Amino acid sequence: MNEHPIHLVTHDDLRRSRLTVFFRALLAIPHVIWLQLWSYVIVVVAIIGWVAALITGSLPAPLHRFMAAYLRYDIHVRSYTLLIANPFPGFVGREGSYPLDLIVAGPQRQNRWTVLFRLLLVIPAAMISAVYGYLVLVVAILGWFAALATGRMPMGMRDAGALGLRYVAQTAGYALLLTGSYPYSGPTAAAATKLVPPTGPTTPQAPTDAPSADPAATAFASSDPASFGSQPTPP
Amino acid sequence: MSSPSARDGGEAEETSRQPRAEETGSQPRAEETGSQPRAEEVRRRWRAGGLRSIAGVVAGLALIGLWVWAAHLLWHSSEPAGSHLAQLDPSHYFSRAFLARSASYQRFLDIDGLLSTIALVVVLVIYAARGARLMRESAAGPIGTGMLLGMLGFAIVWLAQVPFGLAAVWWERRHHVSHQGYVSSLVESFSALGSKFLFVSFALALAMGLARLTRSWWVLAVPLFAALALLFSFLSIYLIPDTHPLRTATTLTDARQLARVEGIPNTRVEVQNVARFTTAPNAESVGFGPTRRVILWDTLLDGRFDRSQVRAVLGHELGHLAHHHIAKGVGWLALFLIPATALIAYFTRGRGGLGRPEAVPLALLVFIVLQLIALPLQNIVSRHIEAEADWASLRATHDPAGTRSLFRTLASSSLEDPEPPTWSYVLNANHPTIMQRIEMVNAWQQRNPAR
Repeated sequence: MNEHPIHLVTHDDLRRSRLTVFFRALLAIPHVIWLQLWSYVIVVVAIIGWVAALITGSLPAPLHRFMAAYLRYDIHVRSYTLLIANPFPGFVGREGSYPLDLIVAGPQRQNRWTVLFRLLLVIPAAMISAVYGYLVLVVAILGWFAALATGRMPMGMRDAGALGLRYVAQTAGYALLLTGSYPYSGPTAAAATKLVPPTGPTTPQAPTDAPSADPAATAFASSDPASFGSQPTPP
Repeated sequence: MSSPSARDGGEAEETSRQPRAEETGSQPRAEETGSQPRAEEVRRRWRAGGLRSIAGVVAGLALIGLWVWAAHLLWHSSEPAGSHLAQLDPSHYFSRAFLARSASYQRFLDIDGLLSTIALVVVLVIYAARGARLMRESAAGPIGTGMLLGMLGFAIVWLAQVPFGLAAVWWERRHHVSHQGYVSSLVESFSALGSKFLFVSFALALAMGLARLTRSWWVLAVPLFAALALLFSFLSIYLIPDTHPLRTATTLTDARQLARVEGIPNTRVEVQNVARFTTAPNAESVGFGPTRRVILWDTLLDGRFDRSQVRAVLGHELGHLAHHHIAKGVGWLALFLIPATALIAYFTRGRGGLGRPEAVPLALLVFIVLQLIALPLQNIVSRHIEAEADWASLRATHDPAGTRSLFRTLASSSLEDPEPPTWSYVLNANHPTIMQRIEMVNAWQQRNPAR
């Protein structure tokens, strides 16, 4: 299967700090406000990008970079708030700065007709995205109790949340013209989310867990340790 | 932009490089003929250092002089000197049973508050020592990590203070002063923690951002924070939940008349719905200019207080607005922040300055301890301002009997000790005691015997 231009890579060790889990919703407040402020700018940039893409057939690179950073930051904040990742994220959406990262391919040529009708075309995906959003929320609520009790997020819950976020990200990326590829919601959706297995002595053994056994993910992690194999570098 | 540690490192490198430069090539000549120029250089540096020290002392003295002058201006009050009579006997105004009950009620709350403060300090001391370990919970940069550490500090303090908060709720419920449930109280304080998180994040983002620019960040931070406090005061009306315009016709008429008398016509009065949480009466004044408002709790309008008593409350709150107490409060805050931020900058130097996240737990401790040390002084200022508002109310209402009965009813409905012990008065009383307020009413009546 071809890789979707927008996908997630996680390098989360499933450990959760009980203290930050307990206060997670409140700790996310500064990020939520910053994200909201950023989203006002994104609306304007998206309109400019839409006009530019209609004329040139692709999103100008600076606008693409800006909106990709926004989308990445959005996913970092959601991951943190919904307990899919543990550390407090940075405020600029820098690639490689967070254990659950969004990879956005560079600008591609897009069909002008799909650009023109993008807001209509995205409606079905947005509906599925909303369902995924509820799924992630339910997982987060259950995960909150589990993480408080055990200090870890169950791998199944983390993976379910990551898959939901992936679809949400692909839908938003499609709406923002970051890609012309439609969001992928098929049964093998895990293939679009690289779930790098956690390392170290606390790694849970999950022999039946298909995503963590994905050889591509493991190879990817080991071939590019600077981005995904080490603790994220603060911006 | 360079971090303080980077600057420190850079300076260290520079100073360690200097001797090497002197040594290379010129060493033999310096030994033979360079002693006189070197001595001259030492003398020149010593003179420059001395001049810098003198300039620093002069600047420091000028700053202290400005501080005292500003405090003197802010202290100015329209309340005349000697507006209190000699100490009155509380038993002339309250029954002995009430005095015993209110003293017992307040004693528990005072001790609970004291223990809560001790817990606060102990937790912050531990956090200052070990809090930097929580940096591992952040993938953000230095400022983002500092914000996280600031929020976690308040989170841990909240956890430590929960038992004392619940004990206070239990005590208030037992004495029918509050009927708020325990869960509701917890949820409310948890939500309020969100506001604290937002405040501390914002404050730290600004302070750390400045600290990463310059070591004298506190000089810039004080006017910035004062300006933000002013902005917050201006907008605070929009942050008060569950309010509606005053609809009671007589109270509305009284509010308009008193506002005219106090020189602030067209001041709006709103009512805040709090009766589902508490039976305690209260009121406040917020904003300035177009956002100027008096807020009355609905517990003041539930029939326990007669018209003259509500008029006295209105007169008091309008007095705050008429005498610019909100702006003065911001002025006092700025005066407090000058030494507080300077001391934070001083104490956090050992951890690389406030620009570094590991300094944040220590900065929190220093700030809270300074606040606690300054609390008795803050209370003196607050009582001074409240006394001026009381005096303004008497001048506007010309109703000493109504005002006196208000204070008696306030005491009985809140079980307030009319004459608390000195330690409690010094540490906790941000208003004059009930007896002091009654003494002022009597003093006003003596000056205006026709009333």
